[in-house]
Amino acid sequence: MISGSSIRRPLLAGLCAFAAMAFACGAVRAETPSAAWDVKQLMQSMRQVKTARATFVERKYLSIVSGPLESSGTLLYNAPDRLEKHTLLPAPESLVLAGDELTITNEAKHQRRTLALQDYPIVWAFVESIRSTLAGDLPTLSRFYGVGLEGDAAQWQLILTPNEPSIRAAVSEIRIVGGRNQVASIEIVEPGGDRSVMTITEEGR
Amino acid sequence: MSGSSRRAVAAWVAFILACVAIISRTEFSTDLSAFLPRSPTPAQQLLVDQLREGVVSRQILIGIEGGTPAALAEISRRMAAKLRRDASFATVNNGENVGLEKDRDYLWRNRYLLSPAVDREHFTASALRRALEDDLQLLGSSAGMLWRKVLPQDPGGELLRLLDQLEGQTKPAMQQGVWFSKDGKRALLVAQTRSAGVDIDAQQSALARIRAAFAEAAGVGAARLLVSGPAVFSVSARETIKGDVLRFSLIATILISALLLLLYRSARTLGLALLPVASGALAGVAAVSLGLGSVHGITLGFGVTLIGEGVDYAIYLLTQMTPGTPARNTLDRIWPTLRLGVLTSVCGFSAMLFSGFPGLAQLGLFSIAGLIVAVAVTRWVLPALLSSGFSAPAVTTLAPKAAFLARHAPALRPTLLLGVALATLFLLLHRGPSWSDELARLSPVPLHDQTLDARLRSDIGAPDVRYLVVVSARDQEATLQASEHVGATLRRLTAAGMLQGFESPATYLPSRKTQRARQDALPSAETLRENLERAQSGLPFRAGLFEPFLEDVSATKRQPLLDRTDLQGTNLATKVDSLLVRRPAGWAAMLPLRGVADAQRIAREVATVPDAQAVLLDLKHDADQLYRSYRSEVLKYSLLGAAAIVALLSISLRSARRVFDVVAPLVAAVIVTSAVLILGGHGLSIFNLVGLLLVVAVGSNYSLFFDRRVDSGRDRERTIVSLLFANISTVIGFGVLSFSSVPVLNAIGSTVGTGAMLSLVFSAILARPEDRAPAGNAA
Repeated sequence: MISGSSIRRPLLAGLCAFAAMAFACGAVRAETPSAAWDVKQLMQSMRQVKTARATFVERKYLSIVSGPLESSGTLLYNAPDRLEKHTLLPAPESLVLAGDELTITNEAKHQRRTLALQDYPIVWAFVESIRSTLAGDLPTLSRFYGVGLEGDAAQWQLILTPNEPSIRAAVSEIRIVGGRNQVASIEIVEPGGDRSVMTITEEGR
Repeated sequence: MSGSSRRAVAAWVAFILACVAIISRTEFSTDLSAFLPRSPTPAQQLLVDQLREGVVSRQILIGIEGGTPAALAEISRRMAAKLRRDASFATVNNGENVGLEKDRDYLWRNRYLLSPAVDREHFTASALRRALEDDLQLLGSSAGMLWRKVLPQDPGGELLRLLDQLEGQTKPAMQQGVWFSKDGKRALLVAQTRSAGVDIDAQQSALARIRAAFAEAAGVGAARLLVSGPAVFSVSARETIKGDVLRFSLIATILISALLLLLYRSARTLGLALLPVASGALAGVAAVSLGLGSVHGITLGFGVTLIGEGVDYAIYLLTQMTPGTPARNTLDRIWPTLRLGVLTSVCGFSAMLFSGFPGLAQLGLFSIAGLIVAVAVTRWVLPALLSSGFSAPAVTTLAPKAAFLARHAPALRPTLLLGVALATLFLLLHRGPSWSDELARLSPVPLHDQTLDARLRSDIGAPDVRYLVVVSARDQEATLQASEHVGATLRRLTAAGMLQGFESPATYLPSRKTQRARQDALPSAETLRENLERAQSGLPFRAGLFEPFLEDVSATKRQPLLDRTDLQGTNLATKVDSLLVRRPAGWAAMLPLRGVADAQRIAREVATVPDAQAVLLDLKHDADQLYRSYRSEVLKYSLLGAAAIVALLSISLRSARRVFDVVAPLVAAVIVTSAVLILGGHGLSIFNLVGLLLVVAVGSNYSLFFDRRVDSGRDRERTIVSLLFANISTVIGFGVLSFSSVPVLNAIGSTVGTGAMLSLVFSAILARPEDRAPAGNAA
């Protein structure tokens, strides 16, 4: 039995999946990794990327459904704060993040909704996990997450764990895998064991 | 003192005691809507009711400025927390998501009774299959993470449908988690009081609580509190009215007393002169209290004018008495004119009795009762109290000077004619914009407060509700049923693009009939289980996933139907209470519309919905319409009043020429007064119109006395002095009101003050020379 509070900010909180929009970028190659390669340097190299376009495939593994649910589409990033996710299959839907506003459009259902991120802290946290990473904005990222880093500049994995208990209730961990200043995949793990994996292929590289 | 005098005095004392007894039990009000028109149609009545008691009247807009956004947000949060615990407020909203859990809980628990989609088709195997396929798609989308939690209980998506209906309302900008103005300078809150807007005591205490909460939350910082809204207006208007009434009564009394002292040089005579008007004022208040239930503060303010007008009768008597003549003789001489003068005044004030403004009716009744009693006291009580040889010494010295002026006044005739001609031309050229057609002009709210209100309102983005469908029926259930019929039509029109959406109380509280129909449409547990199994075959959902759904549906089938008490504690309760209201006869539901594209078509279709009595109100248009219809009504009654005055004069004077002589100065005064008012930069309001009628009613007294055939040159001189002083006291009485900030008092005061003065001057100028001839020429 779910309680009223568990359906707080219905639908919209579900947009947390928005955080799964991330992709590889980087017209400028980072310099050879030094021995003391760290998060600051990763962020520094991510900041070089001003615009990027990619395709994605997202697989959701949910306990209530046997087998993964797959969706795919395109991603678009414009520094410093604009991010678009256009799902094409199985049903079209688009999410556009610009500044503090998130606009969700569903052409088939004639729905269009704009939310202020401040109103939806969980959505905001998800959104910043990827946007701050792409923008190389460590202060913002650290406001929401404890930031862990494994690997080296050529092959790294960013491990984000939410600071706020209310957000930890919705997501236990976000793992962003990449090389140089490109994101290759984003995995979101939830407390109940459900998870989603988005694989990103950048265009024109 | 003769026997009849003694009886008159005894009757007067008894009458005054009775008046005092009535007044001691009188309720005094300052409800501003008394000066809004009483409405002719039920829909318009609803409009006025809303202004008096509706949600709009209960709303208090609050702004906090003068600090960093973080500091302002903190004050906003603390204030809101404090006020939410206060029972005076139904809701306090500052943008924090407080109380929404309860709303969503209500929608969630009762989704199968509330969802418009629930019918016999809704849970068949094929409909469920379609729903499950949609669900699978939704799970994969951005909303999937959440949808997964709700899905086992709500595969049909009822909750989403209900939430969709809640969306679509504009909200203020957010900063730091609370509402802010777009420029980020002001934190914003909206409070709604539990008590109606007309309950000014309660509104005043609510405002005090808001100020206290702010003081506590803000401490000694630089932050400032701004409050606006109808409650603020009525509370400050009450203070203004109280202050004005007291101040202007005092000023008028002092000025007129000084004038009379100058004239009579005797405190006793001054007391006698004030006796009729004091009796009249008491009688006026008592009459209004008996006749109309309560006495409005503005009526008391109007009493000031009665001081000026009612003291005239005593002035006519006291000033025209000559040494050695008993008061009775003087009275016998002037009584016919005095009586006619009172009757014309009463005719004029009667027009106010029939106007659509409850407040104006009060003023009319007050004045009529007051004048009749004042003249009766002058006629029967004053002579008993006056020593027989009384005469005012100053009058003897003033008389020749006044007479000199009056004798030379007709020389100004060409000037007057030219002036009237110019004024007439001006009025004709100005015909278009000279009427002020905005209801706002009648509003007693000072401009500064209106500006603050407009600023806060635009900050908050309070929807400017313009279109409203009003559905009426005999009881709550019938009203909800009718709202559902209208809602069906509106949904169809929404789909056709005629509007963007609407709200209805039936969304949150469907009629029992509809709830029962939905309950009946839910399949039995066995049927639903079979349908679900067939629908699920081949889809990847885990087995047994939808058990909670089966349980919830069968629980809904057994649950008692919803009524208003189930909403208790939610924001939806406030919403339903504001949209569904009890009226004097029956109930009414209000369905506010958003984004109206074709009002005419909506009006047409809504009016023809079967089984529902519904009408589309265009608040802006209808309010202006209301004002125009009231203006034409007041105009009609004013013309009737003027016609009655002319008829009265014709019957009494029995001469067309004399009627013309009496009326011509008044017409001239009305024309010139109108021109002066418009030149003063204001359009004429209803209240100016009423004032013009009073110019005729009051001014007729002067022209009647000028017209009166007198029997001696000395009497003539004394008559002119009495007119002069009566006029000055009237001009003082109305004139001081023109300094009032209460529009109705201000408009009537400036109109009648100007008009009364002009009436006397014009009467003197237009008096026929032969009438001014000394003794022997009497008609």
